Amino acid sequence: MPSLYRLHRAALCAAVFGIAAISTASAEEIIIGAATAQTGGLAPYDQPALAGLRMSLDELNAKGGLAGKYTVKLLIKDTRSDTAQTATVAQELIDAGAKIMITPCDADPSISAGQLTQPLGIPTLTLCGSAPVLTGAVGDVMFGTYPADNVQATAVADFAVSEGKKKVFLLTSPDSTYTANLPEYFGKVFEKKGGAIVGRGTFSMGQPDFSAEITNIKGLADKPDLIMTAAYEPDFPAFIQQLRGAGITIPVYGADAIGTPTIKALGKLVDGVVYTAAGYAEPGSKLEAFNTAFTKYAGHAPESTYEVNGYEIGLILDQAVKTAGSDDPRAIRDAIAGLKDFEGITGKITYAGTDRMPLRPVALMRYEGGEGKHVETLIPDAADVPAP
Amino acid sequence: MIAQQIINAVSLGGVYALLALGLAIVFSIVGLINFAHGELMTLSGYALLASLVLGFPFPVAVLVAVSCGALAAVAMERIAFRPMRGASVTSLLLTSFAVSSLLKVVFQNGISARPQAVAMPGWMTGAFSFGDFTIGVGPSISIVVSALALIALEVFLRRSVTGTAMRAAAEDFDVVRLMGIPASRIIATAFLLSGLLAGLAAMLWVAQRASVDPLMGFTPVLKAFIAAVVGGLGSLPGAVAGGFLLGIIEVLLQATLPGAIAPYRDAIVLSGVIAVLLVRPQGLIPAVRAQRS
Repeated sequence: MPSLYRLHRAALCAAVFGIAAISTASAEEIIIGAATAQTGGLAPYDQPALAGLRMSLDELNAKGGLAGKYTVKLLIKDTRSDTAQTATVAQELIDAGAKIMITPCDADPSISAGQLTQPLGIPTLTLCGSAPVLTGAVGDVMFGTYPADNVQATAVADFAVSEGKKKVFLLTSPDSTYTANLPEYFGKVFEKKGGAIVGRGTFSMGQPDFSAEITNIKGLADKPDLIMTAAYEPDFPAFIQQLRGAGITIPVYGADAIGTPTIKALGKLVDGVVYTAAGYAEPGSKLEAFNTAFTKYAGHAPESTYEVNGYEIGLILDQAVKTAGSDDPRAIRDAIAGLKDFEGITGKITYAGTDRMPLRPVALMRYEGGEGKHVETLIPDAADVPAP
Repeated sequence: MIAQQIINAVSLGGVYALLALGLAIVFSIVGLINFAHGELMTLSGYALLASLVLGFPFPVAVLVAVSCGALAAVAMERIAFRPMRGASVTSLLLTSFAVSSLLKVVFQNGISARPQAVAMPGWMTGAFSFGDFTIGVGPSISIVVSALALIALEVFLRRSVTGTAMRAAAEDFDVVRLMGIPASRIIATAFLLSGLLAGLAAMLWVAQRASVDPLMGFTPVLKAFIAAVVGGLGSLPGAVAGGFLLGIIEVLLQATLPGAIAPYRDAIVLSGVIAVLLVRPQGLIPAVRAQRS
């Protein structure tokens, strides 16, 4: 009996290990960790972007995974829009074996996650964080994906100058890199091209009342013909409601964070507001086809261009794994950093020669009658873009 | 310019006063700082949005929204705070934090994490002009509504039996109960009033912000708490005084601080609060009876 028992056990062992060996050989899996905000202030930005990324990963998995070979397992953890919590969940994702990290739509939490991935060489991509200081603050594993703040600001400034605007008031908030720096980049380009900054104001994010700042704008001796801000929800609606309420009709320009359904739903209040997007769905364009496919996938139309940006992250990763020919994080990192003129959905995306903030087109949009109307799409002249 | 800033200050102070009063009414009776007060505002905001989406005329929508705030406050008391009656101040405080967090998550997951735009009627963004002096309709409504609400509350507390009982309960609840006044009625009325005030404040808040979002209650409840502490916890006149003081200081600092120091505005305001409390540890207008905290 004992010998029979031993035989049994040996057979069992063989069976178990045999299966195990086969399973690792056939289905190669790559874990992508997504430390993103499902709740809190960043959720309205992270969620659409993540939906786009999931769509592309689902499509890639249907074709065998990244490079047709590595099935993607996407692990998602909620950062609650909190910088410290982002670091915590990023660590959990690393412990779970993530070889690629996806971080929230903002510089500060992305940097906190990047501090953990940098020493391990794990390529880290922010969903739509656009502060150009973001990549330098972490190191060579950190990649932006969305058009950088200084690039967006240059595009808006070029447009303002072309419209004949001469004097700008900059409204900033020191509470985030985005709200603090983007208007200042705008100011640099605007001044270089002959415009003047006639005043500056600040606000705290979540501040209820803009009346004092608005009275200051009203009292400026040198009247601005433009107000530039990177305020977004809920500060942007509050600011513009109170600005127009005070009888001030000076146009207000912003950037990508106000290209959202909430701002659009403000209707007449935001007429004439210029903002940026990662692309514009012209009839017959790849972006239009994406929008149709996304609507089918998610059951609702994309809210903004964050969805397509998320989708393109999937394509970028696929290309990078193809180039790297392996799932080694460092090889993938090198492959992303070397991407040149990669055909995305919105246009060509280039990382080669940049400090890992991509060169890609910026679409300028303007709200008119409750709709976002396309103004133009351009890649600003690199010589005009101010240093981060 | 200066007159303009004074109007701004009074308008913001009025909203803070309404909020602080809502906190103070409940605190004076049950010794609870209700940190879920802000979520009552959020709820009223969503009720306004829903009513407008359903096509109710604007005044009806406002009425529905304010009533929702008041009813939600009563429900909150019935469900969350009544089982905790007689518990320590700390337990009550933690309960209110729990209610607040719970509601925030419900709003985020049940409605949307994204702020929802609320289209206020066009006339609310208008402004009256006298020469080069303009007063926005929004701030004017804010001032008028705050003033009317404060007067109405004062009349209620002075002239009605329940009001008198509430004032008495704030001084000595046990004696009021010995007089045959049911405790539950007093407490429910206190929550109802605080909910009404939260609803009204929410309308003024939303009118200025043009959007509602799940986290919108956090800042106002914090400001109201500061105002109530500065004014004297549990003291109703103190809450009003604290609210106006906070509003005035905030607007004045925003208006006068040079750009480089402006980001430290909140730090300066809070230092001012500490200074006031050092001179008057019980607040500007202390409550009649030392409170349980």
